[in-house]
Amino acid sequence: MPVSAELKMLKFLQERVNKETKQVEALGAASKAQQGDYDQVSRKQSRVKSLMRRLAEKLGEQDAGEEGK
Amino acid sequence: MQWPPAVAVLVTAVMASGLRGQVQIPGDGVLPEAHLPKVTPVPAQSPFKPLDLTAFQLAVRALGGTALQVKTFAEEAVEVGPARAGDGLLRMVLPSFDVAVTAAEGGDPNAALLLAKVLVDAESKVVQAHARYHLARVFLDSDDPERALKVLDDYLAQTLNVSPLDSEVAYLYAQSLAEIPMIDAAIPRFRAFLAWFPDASERLRSTAHQRILELERQRESRLHMLADGMKKTTRDLQKRKTDKPVQRDQETYIEELDYLIEMFKEMENQSSGAPSGNGPSSNPASNSSLAKGDGSVGELKKRPSLADRWGPMRDSERKKIMADVQSTMPPQYRKMLEDYYKKLGKADRK
Repeated sequence: MPVSAELKMLKFLQERVNKETKQVEALGAASKAQQGDYDQVSRKQSRVKSLMRRLAEKLGEQDAGEEGK
Repeated sequence: MQWPPAVAVLVTAVMASGLRGQVQIPGDGVLPEAHLPKVTPVPAQSPFKPLDLTAFQLAVRALGGTALQVKTFAEEAVEVGPARAGDGLLRMVLPSFDVAVTAAEGGDPNAALLLAKVLVDAESKVVQAHARYHLARVFLDSDDPERALKVLDDYLAQTLNVSPLDSEVAYLYAQSLAEIPMIDAAIPRFRAFLAWFPDASERLRSTAHQRILELERQRESRLHMLADGMKKTTRDLQKRKTDKPVQRDQETYIEELDYLIEMFKEMENQSSGAPSGNGPSSNPASNSSLAKGDGSVGELKKRPSLADRWGPMRDSERKKIMADVQSTMPPQYRKMLEDYYKKLGKADRK
């Protein structure tokens, strides 16, 4: 898969996290946010972070491989 | 997002030269800005003074240390370094401190509470210094560098120059900044550590050199920087921070992703296949990896996850820890530990 496509997928996932963060903030302002709401949105943010890290590491490894040739 | 013409020229030139793996993606990348701790610039003059060994030994004698223990410390300090020897001496003299540090070394979730108790009960600045150092390490090992930094700030403000741990604290301070990630603040702190502590253990010094190189490479890798920022935002969300500054950080991630998508699309269009690299990264490490060797206090590598151990504990044990926090801690530490254990519980559910 081209890197740009992987980045687009990450952007899509991050947009969902951003939207959910705003929703939880609104719930919190109305004193209706549960702990589970914060847990869920942080879990999703963590997932995007892990995918981003994996992509960065994959590209770094490829860089190192090319440099070693 | 419009791609700046200069970038297009650069990428085209680099692609043509066949050096795709060494493209320098221009720009500074993004780092989070929400809820960052205030960090004072590195002072021009070192605030650290050489350890007054006599004063330290007298302080330990006042705590009940025997003449033989103190004599043995002096000999061990030559062999393993004053930091490790001094911490070992204090563990021998103060059983409650030894229990707390043993708990920390074993990844016991009780460790933060036990160390905070030692800290609160201690009248001796030496004991306070050692308790703060270990408490900061517990927080750092639990992926909570902001809280670690707060404890280290207290160390610097209240217990500077009383313990042989000063060099370790200077290192840990830089390490906490790096993990937040506040890379631009961390690098000068690592450099200051190297300049101020030429006699620190070789293990710490070589790791500090390595961390500077890693951070400089990390600063050049926009994808790693993005992942670092997202890690910080994950911690903010865990701490129930969903306000505008956090949302603004998240928006900058989208802007950065837009920029990178455009850049990679252009590179892909100019080559027959997908580009094989993102250029600047030489695969910087996201975490420190310490060299093995003697001379510093305990193992600085990642310990078994506290969250992993918090999960399997019985409900009654968890409730006891929380009850102890509420009944035995003064307000400033009560809040710190309550938040810490709440975060530990959330991390375990992941």
